Amino acid sequence: MTRLSGGLIDRDTTFAFRFNGKTYKGHPGDTLASALLANGVQLMGRSFKYHRPRGVFSAGSEEPNAMVELREGARKEPNTRATVAELYDGLVARSQNHVGPLKYDLLALNDLFAPFFAAGFYYKTFMWPRAFWEKLYEPMIRNAAGLGRLSMEADPDAYDKGFLHCDLLVIGGGAAGLAAALTAGRSGARVILADEDFQFGGRLLAESHLLDESPAPEWVAKTEEELRSFPNVRILPRTTVFGVYDHGIYGAVERVSDHLADPGDQVRQTLWRITAKRAILAAGATERHIPFANNDRPGVMLAGAMRAYVNRWAAGPTHKADDPVAIFANNDDGHRTALDLMAKGVPVLGVIDPRADAPQLGDYELFAGAVVDETKGRLGLSSIRVTQNGKSQWHRCGALGVAGGWNPNVHLTSHHRGRPVWDETLLAFVPGQGGPSGLIPAGAAAGNGSTAAAMKSGVEAAKSALEQLDILSVSTPLPKAEDDASVQAAFWHVPGKGRAWVDFQNDVTVKDIALAHKENMRPVEHLKRWTTLGMATDQGKTANISALAVMAELAEKSIPETGTTIFRPPYTGVSLSVLGGGDTGADFRPRRLTPTHHWAKAQDAVFVEVGPWMRAQYFPRPGEVHWRESVDREAKAVRAGVGLCDVTTLGKVDVQGADAGEFLNRLYSNMMGTLAVGKVRYGLMLREDGHAYDDGTCARLTEDHYVVTTTTANAGPVYRNMEFARQCLWSELDVQLISTTDAWAQIAVAGPKSRALLERIVDDFDLSNEAFPFMGCAELTICGGLRARLFRISFSGELAYEIAVPARYGHALMERLMEKGADLGVTPYGTEALGVLRIEKGHAAGAELNGQTTAQMLGLGRMVSQKKDAIGAIMSRREGLAEDRRRLVGLKPVDPASTVTPGAHLFAEGAARSMETDQGWITSAAFSPHVGSSIGLGFLEEGDARMGEILVAANPLEGQETRVEVVSAHFVDPEGVRLRD
Amino acid sequence: MTDLTPITALGAETARMQDFGVLRIAESTDLALASLSLRAGQDAPTPFGLTLPDAGGWASQDGQAAFWTAPGQWMVEAEGRAVEDFAAALKAEAPGCSITEQTDGWVTFEITSERATSLEALMQKLVNLDPACLSCGTAARTGLEHMSVYLIRRSDTCLAVMGMRTLADSLWHTLATAAARLPSEA
Repeated sequence: MTRLSGGLIDRDTTFAFRFNGKTYKGHPGDTLASALLANGVQLMGRSFKYHRPRGVFSAGSEEPNAMVELREGARKEPNTRATVAELYDGLVARSQNHVGPLKYDLLALNDLFAPFFAAGFYYKTFMWPRAFWEKLYEPMIRNAAGLGRLSMEADPDAYDKGFLHCDLLVIGGGAAGLAAALTAGRSGARVILADEDFQFGGRLLAESHLLDESPAPEWVAKTEEELRSFPNVRILPRTTVFGVYDHGIYGAVERVSDHLADPGDQVRQTLWRITAKRAILAAGATERHIPFANNDRPGVMLAGAMRAYVNRWAAGPTHKADDPVAIFANNDDGHRTALDLMAKGVPVLGVIDPRADAPQLGDYELFAGAVVDETKGRLGLSSIRVTQNGKSQWHRCGALGVAGGWNPNVHLTSHHRGRPVWDETLLAFVPGQGGPSGLIPAGAAAGNGSTAAAMKSGVEAAKSALEQLDILSVSTPLPKAEDDASVQAAFWHVPGKGRAWVDFQNDVTVKDIALAHKENMRPVEHLKRWTTLGMATDQGKTANISALAVMAELAEKSIPETGTTIFRPPYTGVSLSVLGGGDTGADFRPRRLTPTHHWAKAQDAVFVEVGPWMRAQYFPRPGEVHWRESVDREAKAVRAGVGLCDVTTLGKVDVQGADAGEFLNRLYSNMMGTLAVGKVRYGLMLREDGHAYDDGTCARLTEDHYVVTTTTANAGPVYRNMEFARQCLWSELDVQLISTTDAWAQIAVAGPKSRALLERIVDDFDLSNEAFPFMGCAELTICGGLRARLFRISFSGELAYEIAVPARYGHALMERLMEKGADLGVTPYGTEALGVLRIEKGHAAGAELNGQTTAQMLGLGRMVSQKKDAIGAIMSRREGLAEDRRRLVGLKPVDPASTVTPGAHLFAEGAARSMETDQGWITSAAFSPHVGSSIGLGFLEEGDARMGEILVAANPLEGQETRVEVVSAHFVDPEGVRLRD
Repeated sequence: MTDLTPITALGAETARMQDFGVLRIAESTDLALASLSLRAGQDAPTPFGLTLPDAGGWASQDGQAAFWTAPGQWMVEAEGRAVEDFAAALKAEAPGCSITEQTDGWVTFEITSERATSLEALMQKLVNLDPACLSCGTAARTGLEHMSVYLIRRSDTCLAVMGMRTLADSLWHTLATAAARLPSEA
């Protein structure tokens, strides 16, 4: 045990947790990493490429090494950073990326072959034989790649999303963030304060500084309490603001119950979209290291992190409590770690500082002008070699804190192509101009690293934001805090022969960067891709600037001349589950249910998704074992008697106004203004480019009132286009539009006995052919006074009607029609039979109106009126489109037992199967009970002049070939007698 | 009077109502709706004595109400008149206007709570609208879980969510899920 005194852990409560099967103890307030360290566990994982032993390197979300598979079973989550995994009782974690026990990883063999795994290894190797790539190399690499393993079970947890609005979003709850939130909160602004940690305070929790003579955590607690008391302030711990998006929207993930063994009824995480008028980035800074030979052994960590473990978590960094600890720092701040270690009674070997004039800040041995240039220790650091004035000496050492300076966390400021700028004084990139509008950096994120400067900066940022929002800010007295300047040297790495790691997570060394330089992969973007530096879960937070500095040295340029590291969202990894943010399975997306859905369900209908709709596909009856049996029966019933189909899904748009007719004339390619009241007309709409867009019917109920129907798929888009035309193209027309798709339940009543059936429900309405002929429409009442609309239109080619009633009565109307039509053989039919009937009749649907076809191709060329203009009419006559000679035809297999396959292409018999000889394609196909074989519709070159010709329908992908005969697209009643009868 | 028996948007004979802590979600099945659009050059009428509200507004009087839906367009509500031909009644009140029956185009869920903060907390999980901007007497159209809805703040303690009738089940599921997840202190 290396647990020290003090710390912000609750020692009154003890948690038991397991790591790699062994049980340890920790306390509330611990992270998995701090608890492991306190138990003397330094070895926490293996590296990505070389499988080198690795220990914890940082104390925050920047962690490159200590990644674990957290939890078990379906809740197992790989690549979880132990440094941010909040400890709970019963936590279970396993190290990852090793074969066999962690201590004896079989793949550690890779380390012996390190010379072969240099930068660009994948690009240079496995080049031959070419055939081996897909079958051997790629599977092999994929198997070896990656870190943790997924459980491969469905995620059992629930995720949520939400929307928040505020005047000021404060990102980060450290010294600057708390000061900013306090200022804005006291001023009455609506404030959201978010911090990725489970405790507010940031580095104030990790340092031993006093604020107004009291430990900093006391001020943090007092401030948090005050903020919580403000109704205008919302504070979100465990919440990472991961990205800045347009219009002041910030993405944030709140880990609602990640710190619980089982979330119970709670969601696990919530995705918040925060709309903030202004935001303050107070995300602090990330310490960087100094690469030197074999600097990756467990026990080597950032000096600031070591300080955090000692002060906040009371966890010593060594395997054994009496192992000495050393600090390797190029700046004054690193020396503080030595002081804090000593204050906690940890034996300190000394501070190694490359600066000849390094300050002596306390009673420790100072190795000025010295470097650490080699280490030893198989599974953990055992000794370091210090070279001073040309002399090298080995020292026993259980842990080494490395302090290479601090990089402001500028990530979010570069999300809108803002580019950080190099600050030669700070030796770091700081936020530049051109980042997200309204985002104000403050504190260490803006380069104001001392506690006093950070707090002052937070207050000033809040005041600036409030002033921009015309909110009067109140003054916020700040506690007295340290304001020491941290002098540092531009010392970036220790030259030497051994491998010096720059990016721990991706096993990228100084040598790899040198090789990239040698191979001319010098721009930082190329360096990243050639070496994989800065990739994966940590996104190079501890590596990027060091790498840039090494490349600059090699290129003999300054760091800003060499390049700039910018960042994209997310700041840290965000799970796909929380991005999905809601339901899975049947509720994954909203489903539209037709007015007769519940009735159809009670009839054991099989449903199919049609866009957002759930539609009855067919209604199986007892004894029917194959869907075709049901569909054939339904289609036959319509042709022989009467069938019922819910067609509510077709779009319906109410068009009113004095200029409604003129509006529709301009919208449809054919004439609508001349349509008589009480009549329906088939209509075709074109796209602006002249292609066929959508078809449907247009019914004129009164002189200035039409009802337009659209296809199911285009109900929304057509209505949108109509609104665009009304508002933007022809605002001078007196037209009013509104969708009524949902308001009316519409049922197709089709078949030779449809009139007989409807006569049984209408109230005093003459349905005779003379009184209500084909393409008639009327408003009437049915079933004793229910208002309804009746349209005599047919999709099946039979005598048919569509009847509409207020949607709440759709269910009852279907029941009534079934009841009244029992003796007529009334049969409900679904979308499959609907498709069969329309293919038999040769009606175009979505497969024919696919955006590539013209009115002429569909055989509807004459519907594009020459007497008026309409959307797409002129473009439909343009060169190149008007000459298209493909025409809609029917196709029948020569051998009736053969199947016509939709998607197959049409070729002359004996012709090669190529684009040059392609003569068209099959759009729709079905088995036709009427014809007694499979049939299809398709587009064929000069199709209308090739009746009776035999072609080959080829589907080369599946090796299918069917001889088909070109026939009329109207397999049923080509003269159209039935529907007019 | 027809002898056909209507069903609710949720497919039942009676309206659904459920309590979630301090929140109650109740399906409203007797609310009649009709859209009213002005024709060219027309002045706004005052159907049933109701002054039609300005953009973003909702106004009510004696069982009728209206909310603004677009320039020159309103949705007019009438309690307890869902099975009537309310569009015809409105047409008589607003001659010359374009009136369209909308009663069964929508499902309306009235969400009530004694605490306004509960409604606002629920809104935060549902829609990207600032609750502070949806004060009493306002209405807005927005997206909710990929569905288009109207939100009407009838009072501090009542928020109506009006969605497409065919999406009633999905809308209920979304509202109920969000309401059930609200912490008890919300």
